[in-house]
Amino acid sequence: MGSRDLTSPEVVAPDERGQSESGHSGTFDYDGCLRACVDGDKSALKALYVRESQQLLGVVSRIVRDRARAEDILHDAFVRIWQRASTFDASRGGGRGWVYTIARNLALDTIRSSGKQVSTEDRPEEVGDIDAAADPGNSQRWIEKVGSSHWGGNSERLQECLERLEPIPRACIFHAYVNGYSQSEIGDLIGAPVGTVKSWIKRSLVALRGCMG
Amino acid sequence: MNTHDNDMSRDEMAGHYVLGTLTEEEHREVSDRMREDEQLAEAVRYWQERLVGLCDVAEPVEVRESVWERISASIDELDSRPETAGDSPVSWMSSWWNNLVFWRGFSAAGFACALALAITLVAYQPASSKYMVVLATPEGHSPGWVVQASTSRKLTLKALGSFEIPEGKALEFWTKADDWDGPVSLGLVEPGQPIQISLDDLPPLEENQLFEITLENYGGSPIGRPTGPIQFIGRAVTSI
Repeated sequence: MGSRDLTSPEVVAPDERGQSESGHSGTFDYDGCLRACVDGDKSALKALYVRESQQLLGVVSRIVRDRARAEDILHDAFVRIWQRASTFDASRGGGRGWVYTIARNLALDTIRSSGKQVSTEDRPEEVGDIDAAADPGNSQRWIEKVGSSHWGGNSERLQECLERLEPIPRACIFHAYVNGYSQSEIGDLIGAPVGTVKSWIKRSLVALRGCMG
Repeated sequence: MNTHDNDMSRDEMAGHYVLGTLTEEEHREVSDRMREDEQLAEAVRYWQERLVGLCDVAEPVEVRESVWERISASIDELDSRPETAGDSPVSWMSSWWNNLVFWRGFSAAGFACALALAITLVAYQPASSKYMVVLATPEGHSPGWVVQASTSRKLTLKALGSFEIPEGKALEFWTKADDWDGPVSLGLVEPGQPIQISLDDLPPLEENQLFEITLENYGGSPIGRPTGPIQFIGRAVTSI
């Protein structure tokens, strides 16, 4: 599909810290792909799109809750990746994480500026399912997926460190990051005052920082 | 929660920023601070890298083919622009146009028309313009307004299109230079008519001065600083 081989293991950038373990993204050269975008190689962007668009749309859809808006954001994210590829600095983190950060930030900007979001009653069924999966008493269903693909960099310990959190604070982190919920929405969802949610999240951040180093 | 509070550490602020749990105002504050506070920017990168594995939790969603077609068309359009820029009659405009760093601040589709209009507006201005600002949407999707100042004491604001202001809301225009404590209101603005604003009560305009338009409740912000979401934002550049 591309004019250069983006899937060859030997071109995995050194900044992947030599960890090209298995996982669906282990052998895709994200950094090389972004460098090719800087050179104007559109096939490199297409390769990235083929590789990641479905997962990116999944991430964005959970936050904005609207298929058409999510696709608009996916479009904007890839245009932005194309335009800003030259600002990607492999010494500051992996290319795949950079791509997801762009898409996620666009999604978060969208819900913030639209005053957000649908009420919990209006949420599509599949979102309800995964919320149930984030039930503090039953986090196993989602937590085993955390970090299940290769991100490079320093994300390896995330699953282990999340497991060490208490169930309810862990659910708060989930609802914030994965669902894009505000702290007061999380409070409504799990039936806790917003001040309590804030304090759980604060403590969780401190604990995660301590665990992940 | 105010991000200036001492009880919110830089690291915690960065964590909230990446989780997405800051309010719009706090988020904006952190975004602004990151430009100058390298430790904060580093803390944000820390959390981005550490938490990204949570993206594995979302189920993949099938993407319609038309999405790539739109991306491809947008990119072709972007890439074709520098060639057309050579036709611009205004020399500083050409160099500015070709400045990729500048344009990377804007992104995405759908702003060719507005941009062409901006160029036309700018090209036909008297040569005395000293500063100009293109106010674009925060996501950089499209330029929406142009600010021009022929002196550092007076400026003109022009809309590049029509905007529907939701009922009960108003657009308020703000500015802030780098060393000011907070933004200062320049009043409410209406699309459709150029607005002249005197800066007599403010320090002279300076390079890189921030301008933004926020959506406020009818009558404008009651507290003298922005309370609603940013609709358009940009910084002053010297135009001659």
